[in-house]
Amino acid sequence: MAGTSLWRFVIKRSLQGIGVVWGVITVVFALRFVTPGSPINAVAPLDATQETRQAIAAELGLDQPLYVQYGQYLFDLIRGDMGYSYIKGQAVTTMVFSKLPATVELAVAATVVALVLSIPLGVLSATRRNQPVDYGATLFSLFGISTPNFWLGIMMILVLAVQLNIFNTSGRGVSSVDVAMSLVGPAPFFGTLVGWLSYVTLPAIALGTYFTALITRLTRSGMLEELGKSYVRATRAKGAPETLVRYKHALRNTLIPVITVLGLQLGTLIGGAVITEAVFSWPGLGTLIIQSINLRDWPALQGSLIVIGVGFVLVNIVVDTIYGYLDPRVVYN
Amino acid sequence: MPRKENERNVDRRTFLKSAGGAAATVAIAGCSGGNDGSTETEATTTAAETTEGGDATTTEESDGESGEFGVGVTLGQMDSGLDPQDNAETPTDIIVSQAYEGLMGRDKEGAIVAKLATEWERVEPGTARFTLRDATFHNGDSLTAEDVRFSIRRIVFDDVDIASPQKNDLGNVSDVVAGDGEVTVNFDGLNPIVFQLFATNGQIMQKSWVEENSRDYINRNVNGTGPFQLTNYESGNEVAFEPYEDYWDDTAAVQELTVNSSSESSTRVNRLLAEESDIVTNVPPQEVSRVQNSDVASIKSVASTRVIFLQMRYDVEPFSNQKFRQAMNYAVDVESIVENVLNGFGKITGQPTLDLFTGYNPDVDPYPYDPDEAERLVEESGFAGAEITLQTPIGRYLKDVEVAQAAANQIDSLSNVSCELQQREFSSLVQDITTGNIEDKPAFNLLGWGNGEFDAAQTIIPLLTTDGALTILKNEEVDGLIQEAQNEPDPDAREQILQEANALLHDVAPWVFMHQQFSVYGVSDSLDWEPRADELIDPYTATQK
Repeated sequence: MAGTSLWRFVIKRSLQGIGVVWGVITVVFALRFVTPGSPINAVAPLDATQETRQAIAAELGLDQPLYVQYGQYLFDLIRGDMGYSYIKGQAVTTMVFSKLPATVELAVAATVVALVLSIPLGVLSATRRNQPVDYGATLFSLFGISTPNFWLGIMMILVLAVQLNIFNTSGRGVSSVDVAMSLVGPAPFFGTLVGWLSYVTLPAIALGTYFTALITRLTRSGMLEELGKSYVRATRAKGAPETLVRYKHALRNTLIPVITVLGLQLGTLIGGAVITEAVFSWPGLGTLIIQSINLRDWPALQGSLIVIGVGFVLVNIVVDTIYGYLDPRVVYN
Repeated sequence: MPRKENERNVDRRTFLKSAGGAAATVAIAGCSGGNDGSTETEATTTAAETTEGGDATTTEESDGESGEFGVGVTLGQMDSGLDPQDNAETPTDIIVSQAYEGLMGRDKEGAIVAKLATEWERVEPGTARFTLRDATFHNGDSLTAEDVRFSIRRIVFDDVDIASPQKNDLGNVSDVVAGDGEVTVNFDGLNPIVFQLFATNGQIMQKSWVEENSRDYINRNVNGTGPFQLTNYESGNEVAFEPYEDYWDDTAAVQELTVNSSSESSTRVNRLLAEESDIVTNVPPQEVSRVQNSDVASIKSVASTRVIFLQMRYDVEPFSNQKFRQAMNYAVDVESIVENVLNGFGKITGQPTLDLFTGYNPDVDPYPYDPDEAERLVEESGFAGAEITLQTPIGRYLKDVEVAQAAANQIDSLSNVSCELQQREFSSLVQDITTGNIEDKPAFNLLGWGNGEFDAAQTIIPLLTTDGALTILKNEEVDGLIQEAQNEPDPDAREQILQEANALLHDVAPWVFMHQQFSVYGVSDSLDWEPRADELIDPYTATQK
């Protein structure tokens, strides 16, 4: 019965997700007609004749009425065809899916950075309340939440890459797949790993700092709340060791809201990596989105946003599903 | 602390690059590159590329004996696809020009040089003939006259494969005839600058390769005749080349050429200073000292083919009055703007045509800065008290907003004119400029114009003649002179006519004549390379110090 409820829940959320993605497509499509500027100006030279502009418009399908363009786009999309980039003349599906791994990798790396730092910090802060560690963690959280990630990124590049020469300034010379392949291939694993770290560390920290601060605060407040509850007092009263009380009972319950935020933020990270990608020239979806907006490359922009929208919806479905597993009180309804 | 030369072999980055790079390249070779988001080309990764693999942009490596070295170039943006005939902007041109060539080309100063044509002549007033050299495409096939015919027709005729944005770049071509080792091009009319046009435009592709492949494929792969052939293409991220061994001229000394981009100027400069790149483009004035003060790179600049101006529509008040337009020229202290806003990276102008271009008039001096004269002319014009707005694009040209801000402030400081500045996104501004109707254009705006043909007519015709695509002027005398120049077969006589037109336009003052923009590059000290006037980058000419 529980299994049936779960599937009904997943199907229901998936249908809602399709609605969300359709909404994204429609809004972005509508934006074409209220945003000044034309992709033709990114393709044609300034002094192109009106005849040349019309020929390019016809080639791109821009001479068709709005409803025809919209209908054609939806029809193609259902068939898995996101169209062709106005500017690059390349298939959008290929463009977007070639960029997606880089963005996902960066988002996951930022999340890992955040989790590795924030949960221990939050626990320490809560268990040593009003002690120097707590003050330090609170100060760090304030810094993390109030620091713009583009500024942090530029500063880290200047200090850690240009001055101290520890990391690469920008780009993505080695991917996580390269690291994985080195486990089975002839390449040395350690060398590949440090090569990858030299590229991914700074953007991951820049992107993950806000997230780190957020989770630290959340963990701290959650732990404080749990530690004050009666079941914790009861556990202590029956003589359970303090480590067991904190990490088996209090922390596990604290992690339920943390995982919810984690899921929501992972989606936000994928969409929000735009500025970080620009600062670090990280070849992901964010960079593609900026280029597409600047050049009015609507198919490429739509393709990117659809993929982000689908990713966001999927992550939320997964999180909601896990939530029920973690908290048996939750009923799929 | 500056790094010493002997420390470079042991620093952490070098270790990271070597370890990670070698490993990554092997891994990439093992999985065909698809896993990191790259779009693999037909070319395969070779052992020679593995040396620097992890950091694809920087190549300081040299064996010291053979002079082999790599060059990394960082642009402001990447290509818009690799089809050389389906783009109209500089970054794409920089990338595809490493692998594709035209019949003719230009040297660094803009002089015409031979490329795929060894000889060219005007056989009749409207007919030019090109004799082709023996050259091969990167796939090994020989260049044929039919390839050249197809390429020219693909550019100028909408019904041949694509509607090329370069359609107007070769003149009014009516017919192309392929002969035995030569190609004859016929034009509607004289086309007095046919060789200037072909020296700048018209890159040649192989007919069968284009016909056999999809548009998507052509935009991701390369099959030219140029000095470099493609080894890896990651759309929007990186393009890598290696020398083409069967190039008709000397094989390139640069063993690995990598082009990538960063829209952030500070990131580009950081890449240069961290020795991850060897040439970076568009270094803004505020970053110049950081490069100059480093011990690994320096600044190189060159006067480009781009002129910056404030154009004034002839048909709206107060700009309909010639004295008012002249007053605006006296009101703006261009010399001060070049010195203080552009850190000297600009050259003051006084006519639409730039120095060394065909038709430049050396007897025309720029307007001097004279606010008193400006106020007097405004009074004489009858538009004292005029309120005007200067529109400027944001970030399109070097310090465009700051330049426009300074000009607007200087005009506003006149006692009888007030001037406001309106900043506009370039796409939005261009939308108004390119409708074909003068009524849609702003009355007063900053614009830049690049002229790769080095000929006055290529600026004046589109911008300042009545039928020009972007015109803001209707002046019968200017129209007459340009028409006369375009029908004049004698180059010397034509140049005189164009000089006369430039002198006239100085007086008519349709623009506030601002400056010639400089191209400012950051260049690694390990590289001996000089920038070009036409904004292209030619690592083929680079050598290692």
